[in-house]
Amino acid sequence: MECVFGLVGDGFVIVVADTSAVNSILVHKTNEDKIMKLDSHKLVAASGESGDRVQFTEYIQKNVALYQFRNGIPLTTAAAANFTRGELATALRKNPYMVNILLAGYDKETGPSLYYIDYIATLHKVDKGAFGYGSYFCLSMMDRHYHSGMSVEKAVELVDKCIMEIRSRLVVAPPNFVIKIVDRDGAREYAWRESVKDTPVAQPEALEV
Amino acid sequence: MKFDTSGLESTASVFGTAGGDLVDGFAAAATAFELPATKDFDGFQKEAVQMVKPAKGTTTLAFIFKEGVIVAADSRASMGGYISSQSVKKIIEINPYMLGTMAGGAADCQFWHRNLGIKCRLHELANKRRISVTGASKLLANILFSYRGMGLSVGTMIAGWDETGPGLYYVDSEGGRLKGTRFSVGSGSPYAYGVLDSGYRFDMSIEEAAELGRRAIYHATFRDGASGGVASVYYVGPNGWTKLSGDDVSELHYKYYPVVSAETSEPDQMVEA
Amino acid sequence: MSRRYDSRTTIFSPEGRLYQVEYAMEAIGNAGSAIGILSKDGVVLVGEKKVTSKLLQTSTSTEKMYKIDDHVACAVAGIMSDANILINTARIQAQRYTFAYQEPMPVEQLVQSLCDTKQGYTQFGGLRPFGVSFLFAGWDKNYGFQLYMSDPSGNYAGWKAAAIGANNQAAQSMLKQDYKDEITREDAVQLALKVLSKTMDSTSLTSEKLELAEVFLSPSGNVKYQVCSPDTLSKLLVKYGVTQPAAETS
Repeated sequence: MECVFGLVGDGFVIVVADTSAVNSILVHKTNEDKIMKLDSHKLVAASGESGDRVQFTEYIQKNVALYQFRNGIPLTTAAAANFTRGELATALRKNPYMVNILLAGYDKETGPSLYYIDYIATLHKVDKGAFGYGSYFCLSMMDRHYHSGMSVEKAVELVDKCIMEIRSRLVVAPPNFVIKIVDRDGAREYAWRESVKDTPVAQPEALEV
Repeated sequence: MKFDTSGLESTASVFGTAGGDLVDGFAAAATAFELPATKDFDGFQKEAVQMVKPAKGTTTLAFIFKEGVIVAADSRASMGGYISSQSVKKIIEINPYMLGTMAGGAADCQFWHRNLGIKCRLHELANKRRISVTGASKLLANILFSYRGMGLSVGTMIAGWDETGPGLYYVDSEGGRLKGTRFSVGSGSPYAYGVLDSGYRFDMSIEEAAELGRRAIYHATFRDGASGGVASVYYVGPNGWTKLSGDDVSELHYKYYPVVSAETSEPDQMVEA
Repeated sequence: MSRRYDSRTTIFSPEGRLYQVEYAMEAIGNAGSAIGILSKDGVVLVGEKKVTSKLLQTSTSTEKMYKIDDHVACAVAGIMSDANILINTARIQAQRYTFAYQEPMPVEQLVQSLCDTKQGYTQFGGLRPFGVSFLFAGWDKNYGFQLYMSDPSGNYAGWKAAAIGANNQAAQSMLKQDYKDEITREDAVQLALKVLSKTMDSTSLTSEKLELAEVFLSPSGNVKYQVCSPDTLSKLLVKYGVTQPAAETS
């Protein structure tokens, strides 16, 4: 089942998410990217009901873009996290979104930061965080092996440890994961960890009849 | 367009006007619908909605391959144990380049696919080009998301050919929307997936692909009681969709597994034993 | 002729003018003036209090300067009752922003949101525009110290030095003459007092008729809004030679 986690390193944040789209006992897809780029220096890794997850993260993404467009300045990571929390909180008593979020970002003034926001609109600034069934494994793994100021190599090593633990100990372990990083140069995909290859989306040139 | 949702509204007001004595209240409201014999009406309603939701007594599938998209489905409609139809058109023709599949509530699927058809046509008139599969599926997903939790039951695939080539999306009434190359929806989908996954290759010919789809539907109908009737297979290519076949699955059964005249003595003995 | 076009705010005259808005600006031309100067280490606001009667109790708090949030303050010229409404909405806007984002509202956004309100009253029927001009002084992390001026039409712009209220054109041209880009806050105070003393109608400049407020960064790096006390103000006036020592005049 779902596994989303992340940690803050030396000048960067790394976030990881499983890539399975599940419906009761069925795995519909194993290459669903659950980490969205909010803007040039922000990432949201989200877990939760697929409809809610996509609708809510897109809503936040569009509002962050609108802010930047209107005011000519980007939101800080802290402001975006608080905004996201606020939107979840207002929705909570009307039509709640079943979505948990790790918001990672890099700001010039404050450097890298990671925010934990759950579906009942709790906001925490954290060094490391996790959601889903995978969190039971990787939280303790990160507690044990995390230290502040980790290098990218060390962080990826820890992330891989967590993925291996989930794959070997979690009965409903997802096969594939995506790893993304945000640092001073922006947000980007770092790597995929795949044990099952989903059929790639057909390349148009191969389809010319 | 507006639905008449009066039937869905809580009938709590009946209790409100009843005064002190509940029994008297019922007698006074003789013209209202009969209430289910339960104290927890909301819970009953929720449960009733749940009952029609997850099963989706159907098998539908679609997949992208070298030549385009194959879409296939069975044709059975059931109401609990009762088979209400063996000739349902579960592949809905949205426009000449796009198909939708139907699982869940037949009316919900039909209605919203027609609605989607209108929106796609309007898009075409406004923009002088056909809507992308991505766009069309997003339109549908947004509509379904806005009705989420209100009892709609839709599990559908939108398959088609647009300017970017073949497209395939899974969309459901919980608001989910997935892009992919291979999907199956309905109660028979695990069976269909089994056949589909093991037989799939990207570089199949149209004939091979159609046969894979047909075979997957057949095997699903064989194991899933809620699926059956006719296995229809559609192909969507650069020039739009065509219907390739529609075979009665019981005939397919004898085609795939012809009766071999064998010595009948042994089985007979087994029956007796 | 213009009667047909000036009784409602929403109607353009054939010459393309909105008379009610222009009249509102006219009203501000008679109000006590205010001057704002942007310096490299802060923003200075000075205002002229109109003492209408000797019997009037001089309020202990400021009349023309208002704090909107920890990092923004404004000076007002025009109808005070109108100004109070706008200041209240500005304060609410600033708090709403902090509620949503947990950080101070960027100064220009605050000014813009207030000007949107002002603009609304020049367009929607049955209402008159606000007869108020503002000078906003503030600091934010994106653009540092800032000074904005807004008028009843809802127009606003950022300025290095600006004047509103009575004789604002004279003040503005003096500022243009004497303003230097590298001006310090101390010099800005001196310049503002000098300009105000020359453009004010009353002959003697005393601390009762004046208000001085500054927005600057404290040594600890926090934004500070400080209103100058009458005593300090009196001393400043003497120091800069814009008035005679109080003992001699009285």
